[in-house]
Amino acid sequence: MSTLLLEAERVKSYYHTREGTVKAVDDVSLDVENGIILGLAGESGCGKSTLMNTLMMKIRPPLYLVDGEIIVDGERISKMERKEIKKKIWGVKISLVPQSALNALMPTKRIIDFIRDVVKFHVDVSDGEIVSMARKRFEELNLPEDSLYLYPHELSGGMKQRAVIAISTLLNPKLLIVDEPTSALDVSTQKRVLKLLLDLKKFKIIDSIVFVTHDIAVLRQIADRLVIMYAGKIVESGTLEDVLSNPKHPYTAGLIHAVITPEPEIRKRGLVSIPGEPPNLINPPSGCRFHPRCLHAMPICKKVVPELVDISNGRKVSCHLVKA
Amino acid sequence: MSPVLRFLIRRIGFFALTFVVFTLVIFTLPRAIPGNPLSTLLSQLFQQAQANPELIRAVYKRLMDEFGVGKPLHEQFLLFISRTLKGDLGTSIAFYPRKVADIVFAYLPWSLGLLIPAVLTSWIIGNMLGALAGYKRTTALDNAMLPAFLTLSQTPYYWLAMIFLYIFAVNLGWLPIGGAYSSGRIPKLTLDFIVDMLRHYVLPYLSILLSSMGGWAIGMRSMVIYELGSDYVDYADSLGLSDSKILRYVFKNSMLPQVTGLALNFGSILGGSLITELVFNYPGTGFLLFRAISTLDYPLIQGVFMLLISTLLLANLIVDFVYAYIDPRIRTGYIGE
Repeated sequence: MSTLLLEAERVKSYYHTREGTVKAVDDVSLDVENGIILGLAGESGCGKSTLMNTLMMKIRPPLYLVDGEIIVDGERISKMERKEIKKKIWGVKISLVPQSALNALMPTKRIIDFIRDVVKFHVDVSDGEIVSMARKRFEELNLPEDSLYLYPHELSGGMKQRAVIAISTLLNPKLLIVDEPTSALDVSTQKRVLKLLLDLKKFKIIDSIVFVTHDIAVLRQIADRLVIMYAGKIVESGTLEDVLSNPKHPYTAGLIHAVITPEPEIRKRGLVSIPGEPPNLINPPSGCRFHPRCLHAMPICKKVVPELVDISNGRKVSCHLVKA
Repeated sequence: MSPVLRFLIRRIGFFALTFVVFTLVIFTLPRAIPGNPLSTLLSQLFQQAQANPELIRAVYKRLMDEFGVGKPLHEQFLLFISRTLKGDLGTSIAFYPRKVADIVFAYLPWSLGLLIPAVLTSWIIGNMLGALAGYKRTTALDNAMLPAFLTLSQTPYYWLAMIFLYIFAVNLGWLPIGGAYSSGRIPKLTLDFIVDMLRHYVLPYLSILLSSMGGWAIGMRSMVIYELGSDYVDYADSLGLSDSKILRYVFKNSMLPQVTGLALNFGSILGGSLITELVFNYPGTGFLLFRAISTLDYPLIQGVFMLLISTLLLANLIVDFVYAYIDPRIRTGYIGE
């Protein structure tokens, strides 16, 4: 049995719009091993949300999977029918914790009724079993049991967030994809949510997490591995310490320097922002997509697309400055 | 006291207040129209009375009692209120000496029989078509449906009524040009009469149905599109909930504003049907109201309006409860935390 929970091979997913084709995810390969928390970081508009949706094949026009393969827990979902994916994969093998947990729950149904609808669609169990399942999970996540019988508008923001996490993990999915779950929360609630995610993994309710965010500081607290995206491509990946302490790609370095970090040399230097803006993905820059903003750009960067190369056991960088 | 009971009392109290303000308005407004409603009636009576002087005094006394003419306005108002509370809507001037209540209740069934089915079917069909268009947005089906809805929604009832009348009754002669049944017939429950009645029913019914359907469809279409793009739909989808179930969620939530719309619309449709009834010479309350206003028949105007407003308030009360039943957020708002 493979230790890879998710494998994405040379995936291209494009939006076909009237203005042209938006190459939001362009030739991306990504593996998620069993038991890790993978942080996927990048600026807004770099394609990380599209990649996240693509990884679970949550693809709807105008977004199309143009090329590549996605295998989840041995199932080639890139070839599956949407109906089959919904029944067998979503909620069962991969689950999503959406960005806007505050409005994510069906507003005119009691939480338990919503849970019943969801569970019944995936597994054949009685109402009583569903209720005891939900109770158990709510208890594990420190949610009062009574809240099952409330409507979403009767819960506080933090409770809604936890309820969503509880519902997403109800069927013990192997992989949990978390989309900027902390961006709308205050810092202490953020901390609780992160602890909750770690607990879910500790209790073996879930195996792995893909944590999508623009916030490097949050990833520092939770991730094992980092993947940095820029303009629809992965520019660097590796273990958390390696990437943070020794960023190889100028964009990664820029991202890290733009955030307050505990490393003393960065503290001394102060915050530096990356000049310019992320490119329009209908007409991305030639060669390395980062070259117009890069302080180290060379003539070759304009012409040749750098490959993502493995520089030492799993550490990958896509930059002409770095030689394998 | 239970929250539901408190809600009920508050609601009914609010409606009682509305009703009082309303009676003041319908009492004052007709009397602000220049003209004397009694003049026609009196001149007729005087012609007869010339032959019989005894009658003049009797009639004079009758009329003073009946209509309270000559008394100050506030006394007239109090008289009106006290009679209304006793269930007496007074005597019609134009149809003298028939009672207002009798006249109104003779016309009312025709209006209700026309309006309720027309409004409900247009609401149901409009919402279903709108939901379909919203679900199939950006497809050819939606591209064809939306302009049709827009055209229908901007078509006035009476205009559509006149076009229908012109084409189907006058030109093609397929259907009768007016009335609720052929003149000379006596309403009775025979197959023959029912067929005749339905033939008179088709055009007014269709003109109301079609002209109000477009608006419902447009409202529903945009609600469905809005709901389909909302976070809870996306989340339910990502949990793998079946598309048909998600659609049912969306339909339920999109219906909420449409329910209120229905209640509010009953009022404007009651008023709007006035002209439809006039076009088709249909013997409903709209038709009656028109006659009452044109003859300045104060008691009859008051009576018709009294009935309309009671219907409207009742419809609103029912909708409040239906709304609270289907939307838990409203329920909380109504009965408090």
